[in-house]
Amino acid sequence: MALIEMNSICKNYKNIGFETRVLKNVRLHIEEGDYVSIMGPSGAGKSTLMAIMGCLSQPTSGEYILDGQEVGKLNDRKLSRVRNEKIGFVFQAFHLLPGVTALENVTLPLIYARQSPRGIKEKARALLTKVGMEHRLHHTAGQLSGGEQQRVTIARSLINSPRLILADEPTGNLDSKNGRETMQTFDNLVKEGTTIVLITHALEVAQHARRIISIHDGQIVSDSDREEKTEARVL
Amino acid sequence: MMKIFSSFGIAVKALLSHKTRTFLASLGVLIGIGSVIVMTAIGKGSQKEVMDIIAGMGENLITINAGEMKRRGGHLRLTGNVTTLTVRDANRIVEEISEVEGAAPFEEKSMIAKFSNNSAETRIAGSTLDFPMIRGYSLQSGEYFSERDSKMANRVAVIGATTVKNIFGEEDPLGQVIKIHFMPFKIIGVFEPKGLDTNGMDQDDVVLIPISTYMRRIVNQTYVTRIFVRVSSRENIVKATGKIQELLRESHRLTDDRNDDFTLISQLDIEELKLETTEIFTKLIVGVAAISLLVGGIGILAVMLISVKERTCEIGIRRSVGATRRDIIRQFLCESLIIGFLGGGLGIVLGIGLTLGLTRWGHWTLILDTNSIWTASWVCAGIGVLFGVFPAIKASKLDPMEALTVE
Repeated sequence: MALIEMNSICKNYKNIGFETRVLKNVRLHIEEGDYVSIMGPSGAGKSTLMAIMGCLSQPTSGEYILDGQEVGKLNDRKLSRVRNEKIGFVFQAFHLLPGVTALENVTLPLIYARQSPRGIKEKARALLTKVGMEHRLHHTAGQLSGGEQQRVTIARSLINSPRLILADEPTGNLDSKNGRETMQTFDNLVKEGTTIVLITHALEVAQHARRIISIHDGQIVSDSDREEKTEARVL
Repeated sequence: MMKIFSSFGIAVKALLSHKTRTFLASLGVLIGIGSVIVMTAIGKGSQKEVMDIIAGMGENLITINAGEMKRRGGHLRLTGNVTTLTVRDANRIVEEISEVEGAAPFEEKSMIAKFSNNSAETRIAGSTLDFPMIRGYSLQSGEYFSERDSKMANRVAVIGATTVKNIFGEEDPLGQVIKIHFMPFKIIGVFEPKGLDTNGMDQDDVVLIPISTYMRRIVNQTYVTRIFVRVSSRENIVKATGKIQELLRESHRLTDDRNDDFTLISQLDIEELKLETTEIFTKLIVGVAAISLLVGGIGILAVMLISVKERTCEIGIRRSVGATRRDIIRQFLCESLIIGFLGGGLGIVLGIGLTLGLTRWGHWTLILDTNSIWTASWVCAGIGVLFGVFPAIKASKLDPMEALTVE
C-alpha cells in the first residue's frame, strides 16, 4: 500500500484579488520505505507540495491519502495529531527552539502527543547518540554549530517514530562536510525502513535518493520511477 | 488537566528565556497593584484617624445646640439668637432620661487672658462637673473644680496645654492667678493635651471655669448655647436623641406647628458626614487604580503582541511538531496570565512593603486592607487573561508554513 497517495492536488493562493495557482493537478504515489527527492527551481511549488504533504497546509482541491487516511479535509486538531504522530520535519534553517537544550528540543513533539510514553528522556538521549550528539545534550541551540543543530533536528524528527520524514533543503545551510554527514544519516535511516522525502535543488543531494521527481511551474515534469517503469515496459 | 499543566511549563520556560521582557511587561501591573494597595491603606488610615478624632471628642456624644443649625460655607452655623436652652434643661436630661450618663451645659467666648505681662486670646468656657467625662478631657495636674465651686460661682479655672504655653510659657501655672475681664481667676488644674477636633479647632486652647461663674460674672445671662450629653452606649444614641428632642420640645413649650428651637447632632451624624468625605476619597482611589491597571494591561497586551510577532518562527516550529491552535492559544494565555500574576505578586509585595515602611519610618497612619490584596490578585489574573486573549488568538491563526518561513 502506498504511504502517500495524492490525486489531482491543486493549491491556489489568493493575494489582493489575484489568485496564484501554485500546484496544478499533482498526482503522486510514494510507497512505504521509499527514498524520494523532489527537485525543481525556486517558485516551482516544491515547498508548497511539502507543506501539503506534511499536513502544514490544506490543498485547495484534490485528494491526499496519507497512510490510508484522507487528510485533505481534516480539522486543525486532527491534522495536528497527524503531524505529531506520523511526520517528522527537517528544515533548512534547522528550526530549533532557541534558548532550549538539545535534549528538550528533541522531546518537544512529545509535549503535544496525546500521551507521552514513559522513558522519553532515554529515547531522546538514544536518538541524539545515534546522530552523534551525545556530548551536546545540554547545550542550547545557540551554542551548537549548524551541522550539530541539523543533527538535533533529525533526532527531533525521529522521536515519535514517524512513518514519513520530510526534509526541506536539509543541506542548504551546511558546509559540504556537514552536508555529507547529514545525507549519510538519511541514507542510514532509509536502510532502517524509514520513508524519506527530500526537497532540494542540488543534484548531488537528490542523487542520494532512489527516486527523483522534478517539479516545474506547479506540475510534475519528470519522475525517475515512472521512467524506469516505462523503460522496463519498452524493453 | 495534563495539557494545562504542560502549557504552563512551556509558558514558564518561554518567559524565563526573556527575563527582561517579562519583567517590563509585568511592570505596569506591578506599579498599578502596588499603588492600589498603598492608596487603600492611606484611605483606611485617614478614615481611622477621623474616627479617632471623633471618638476623642467624647464617646457616645450628643451635642445640643440652641437654635436651628444650618450649613453655611461648609460648616454648621447657628442661626439667630435663641435664649430658651438652659442649665435646667441639662439637669432634666440627666435626671429624666435613663440612657443619658451625663449632660454638661456649655458656653464659650473668645477673650483675653492675662498673667503678669503676658496676655493671649483664648476661649473662655463655662461648664459643669460632667464636662471632662463627657468630652474626654483628663487632668494632667491639679484638680477639677468642685461642686462647691460651682454653687458658689468661685473664680477658679482649669486650663488647656495651649493656653498654658501662650500665657505662662515654661512657668508652672498651678496656683497662679490670671485675669479675665478684669477679674482674677485661680488656676487649679491643667488638662492633658487633646489636639485638634474634626473642624481643625485646637481643643487645648481653653480656660474652663464653672458655668455658674461664667454666667453670673462674665456674661450675665441665663441661657446657654450648647449642652453636651453622654449616652450610656452607642446603641442607645438614636433612642436618647429622640427622648432629648421630646423633652426639650416639652420644656420649651413648643406647639406642634413650631420647629425645634435647638439642633441635636450625635456622634453618628458626624461620623456619617466624615465618612462621606473619605468615601469620595476612596472612590477617587479606585478610579485612579482602575486607570493604572488598565495601563498595566495595555502594557501586557503590547508586549504579548510583540512577543507573538517575534516568535512567529517558534509558533511555526511548535505547529509543525503537532501543536494545535488550542495549544498555541493556551501557551500564550498562560504566559500573559503568569505576567499578570508576577506583576500582581510583586505589586502586592511592593504595596505591603511601602505601607509598612511609611507607617514605621514615615509615621503615617496606614491600614493594610486584606480585601484590597485579594481583589488585586483576582484583578491581575483578569488582566492577564483579558489582555492576553487577543495576542493568543492572533498567534494561533498564523499559517504554520508561513510562520516557518519568516526570518
